[in-house]
Amino acid sequence: MTDSTSDGAHSDADLDPANEPRQSGPVERADGAESIVRIRSLVKTYFRGDEPLKVLDQLDLDIPKGSFEALMGPSGSGKSTLLNLIAGLDRPTSGTVVVDGKQIDRMGESQLARWRAATLGFVFQSFNLLPVLTALENVELPLLLAPLRAAERRKRAETALKIVGLEDRVKHYPRQLSGGQEQRVAIARAIVNDPKIIVADEPTGDLDRQSAADVMTLLEKLNQQLGKTIVMVTHDPAAAERASIIRRLDKGILV
Amino acid sequence: MIPIRYNLRSLATRKTNTAATILGIALVVFVLAASLMLSAGVKKTLTSSGRADVAIVTRKGSDAELSSIVEDPQVSLVKAAPGVKKNGDRPAVIAEVVVVTTMEKLGANGLSNVTVRGVPPDVMTFRRGVELVAGRFAQPGADEAVIGARLRGRFAGLDLGQTFELKKSQPLTVVGVFEDSGSAYESEVWVDFDVVRAAYHRVGAVSAVRAMLESPAAFDAFQATIEQDKRLQLSALRETYFYEKQSEGIALFVGILGSVVAAFFSLGAMIGAAITMYAAVANRQKEIGVLRALGFARRSVLSCFLIESMLIALFGGAIGSVGALSMRFVKFSMMNFATFSEMSFTFQPTWTIVGISLAFALGMGLLGGLLPAVRAARVSPVTAMRGG
Amino acid sequence: MTLIELAARNVLRNKVRTLLTVAGVAVAVLTFLLLRTVIYSWTAGVDAAATDRLVTRHKVTFVLELPLRYFEDVRMVPGVRVATFANWFGGKDPQHPNDFFQTLAVEPDTFFDVYSEMKLPATELAAFKQNRQGAVVGDVIAAKLGWKVGDRITLESPIFPTPPDQPWTFMVEGIYEATSKAVDRSTVVFHWKYINDAMPEVRKDEIGWVVSRVDDPSRAAEVASAIDRAFETRDTQTMTQDERAFASSFMASFSAVLSALDIVSVGILLIMLLVLGNTIAMGVRERTNEYGVLRALGFSPSHIAGFIVGESLVVGALGGALGLLISYPIVNRGIGNWLEENMGAMFPYFQVTPLLATIAFALALALGLVAAAVPAWGASRLNVTDALRRVA
Repeated sequence: MTDSTSDGAHSDADLDPANEPRQSGPVERADGAESIVRIRSLVKTYFRGDEPLKVLDQLDLDIPKGSFEALMGPSGSGKSTLLNLIAGLDRPTSGTVVVDGKQIDRMGESQLARWRAATLGFVFQSFNLLPVLTALENVELPLLLAPLRAAERRKRAETALKIVGLEDRVKHYPRQLSGGQEQRVAIARAIVNDPKIIVADEPTGDLDRQSAADVMTLLEKLNQQLGKTIVMVTHDPAAAERASIIRRLDKGILV
Repeated sequence: MIPIRYNLRSLATRKTNTAATILGIALVVFVLAASLMLSAGVKKTLTSSGRADVAIVTRKGSDAELSSIVEDPQVSLVKAAPGVKKNGDRPAVIAEVVVVTTMEKLGANGLSNVTVRGVPPDVMTFRRGVELVAGRFAQPGADEAVIGARLRGRFAGLDLGQTFELKKSQPLTVVGVFEDSGSAYESEVWVDFDVVRAAYHRVGAVSAVRAMLESPAAFDAFQATIEQDKRLQLSALRETYFYEKQSEGIALFVGILGSVVAAFFSLGAMIGAAITMYAAVANRQKEIGVLRALGFARRSVLSCFLIESMLIALFGGAIGSVGALSMRFVKFSMMNFATFSEMSFTFQPTWTIVGISLAFALGMGLLGGLLPAVRAARVSPVTAMRGG
Repeated sequence: MTLIELAARNVLRNKVRTLLTVAGVAVAVLTFLLLRTVIYSWTAGVDAAATDRLVTRHKVTFVLELPLRYFEDVRMVPGVRVATFANWFGGKDPQHPNDFFQTLAVEPDTFFDVYSEMKLPATELAAFKQNRQGAVVGDVIAAKLGWKVGDRITLESPIFPTPPDQPWTFMVEGIYEATSKAVDRSTVVFHWKYINDAMPEVRKDEIGWVVSRVDDPSRAAEVASAIDRAFETRDTQTMTQDERAFASSFMASFSAVLSALDIVSVGILLIMLLVLGNTIAMGVRERTNEYGVLRALGFSPSHIAGFIVGESLVVGALGGALGLLISYPIVNRGIGNWLEENMGAMFPYFQVTPLLATIAFALALALGLVAAAVPAWGASRLNVTDALRRVA
């Protein structure tokens, strides 16, 4: 990622009352902890026909680096929208989203794509593994975007699968795996590019209780041992309990 | 049975797919129907030129007037033959000279042959169907010509008031245009008999002799008389048969060419239909499972998908046929192999052709949909219980 | 694994569909090649016709003959290097009434000088010139009817009735091969004099047309008009054209058929586009969710478009290659050989040319590109969150 894209972050940092010296890295918070996600005055409005629907309303949010946060709230509270905005999958109507020092709400599509590939790991509710690829190949997928040699890509993908405990499922296709295993492959895929932040959307939504617990244990491990920041949207109170911070969202406002 | 409404709905949900497949089949049917119509048009043009109660006498072995020579004395033999109708005391017999001339084609680079018929002054009484639609008839012995309506404007010099040459420094003026209910004559130039004979050094001989018979049944006796004298080397044919033979080559050519092309096209379209139907089956695995679980037999599922594919084909066939019908207004000219000259044909729609085209389309739908339908029928009811 | 491999996996994902699509493209390529070869072969005579060879015939119509002395007169025209003449014989072998071939009564001493692309061994040529009833036949018709040098053949002609005492009988003295693709390899030529001697007085010494070669091809037009001028004041005027103009005027009679074939050959491309476009669009629709995933993983819109276009190109290329492969036995061997044997006068060389094959393959690729354009554009513009919500 080039530094030119961080100009937005600079200007934003200047407005911060704490007024740190200029830097392109993570922004220091007043209490000394770095915040990896900084959201200011975020508004997201959808149109259903001609009728505007305000999903997020003047939302401010700081997520400290290295934290494990669960976003909870009823359906339609805007939690998934917020997650998508943090992941740069969607664009805010107004407000700023700064992730890892980059203001992403002004990036172009291709720029965003490169940013995601370098910064973000994504875990979906329904796993979303490509059925035509083996577990290893699915994990390797994000690395195709990095300037790595084939052998190096393979090594990293194998390492990632080892971390999620599926080193014996390398050659298996998604249809040959259980739901819990699929989700662990998906998590391996999310961490293979060594992202700064992992974004998970209902990671346990499609799993049975035991698999869900396994997946949460894995995410915990990633957070505690590898220091990954994790932002997770969930309905599941059991899953939310594992997080270090639980935030609740209702009608587009953090409560 | 699963109601057809179900198929119509499912076709409507995949609009683009269905439309693309329908269009493909329509193109195939268009090509097939158009070439069949042209083939029928050729037959109609040539056979409408002939009458069952007219006999044509040519030299033995000649299958066209162009290559036939009948000596003048032989003409009187024809006149005296039994069964020939009389107009008053004169036998209804017409002797003509048929030649071709090379003319400059308009709108296309090159020359083409045009049939020129040297006709006696009483030609109109022999060919009662011929009607002048512009100008007047040529005067006997004058350097004038009348042209068939289908020639008009297609060659340099062939339009009302224009001139052309059969012989150096002897321009012939076009003074009239005639129609003959779409017969082959409409692609001919008619010039006075003696003018043509002089220009082509055909003194003492004609190309063919036509005799109006008292009835179609009188032909056999007439033919026997003409052909019994072997030295004359003449043959008599019923005019309808004569033209039918002429049309065979060209109708066959057009028909075969069109059918071959349509056959290849249909392969492509059937593959398109199969792809669409496979996708339909794949998208509805679960649905099919539910139908099976509800108690519909494999046979019902099979016929349901076959019907859907045939519906697509039928739509395509209808569009293609209607498209081909619009070709009625197009004229198509090509060389008649029998006369070496260009003739203009029209596309002749018939109910048989529409029927063949639709049947062909249905066949494509049936064949294209067969394998996907078999796959659909093999879907197990358990599928309904599975996710996705 | 690489990006290309990833795209390839998707091509093989729905094997039946890919197979059908490849087959569809192959059939379209085959049909296209067949139609274009018909057009090419039909018009090849025109393009390959010699421009330094002049045909002199009756001004009004080909049906009328020229007097024999016109042959000598044409030879005298300055610029004419060598001349010969021929008559349309219209012969048929009564033993093979359904086989059609051209039969020409020619001037034996000069005919093969003027038609130098019809090649036969010098000894056979010499024997032909010597034998008044000798004939030279094309290699294709000889092979088809089993004629060999030394065989006797009989012919019937509606134009030249068989003499009462004996049929037209010829001795095959030579078999010619063609060095140009525009030459019919099924023609039978024999001595004009043999026919002429048997004619009644009124039909003696008539020839069909005179063919001459000029010294300088660039002056062919001048020589042609010089020939016509020589006969301007005679009873019978002539029209002299170079062979190409002559051939193209014949082609003009079939221009409607040719343009119909032209249109139809574009029609098949349209069908190909529909089949291919349908497949690609279907695949894209089914995989919208996956494209969302890929986008979320950091693949850019151009990557997505690339996958789709790449897939379509691969299918186009496979179909194109298969089409070329099957066109060889079908067009060149099957239909081509049959047409060359049976309709050699019209289709002297019915084979797919390398240029045409290249064009057809390029078209298959181009159509792959076009077929993918709309789906690729649509998929690359998809909103990632919408795409993720889409279930296949």
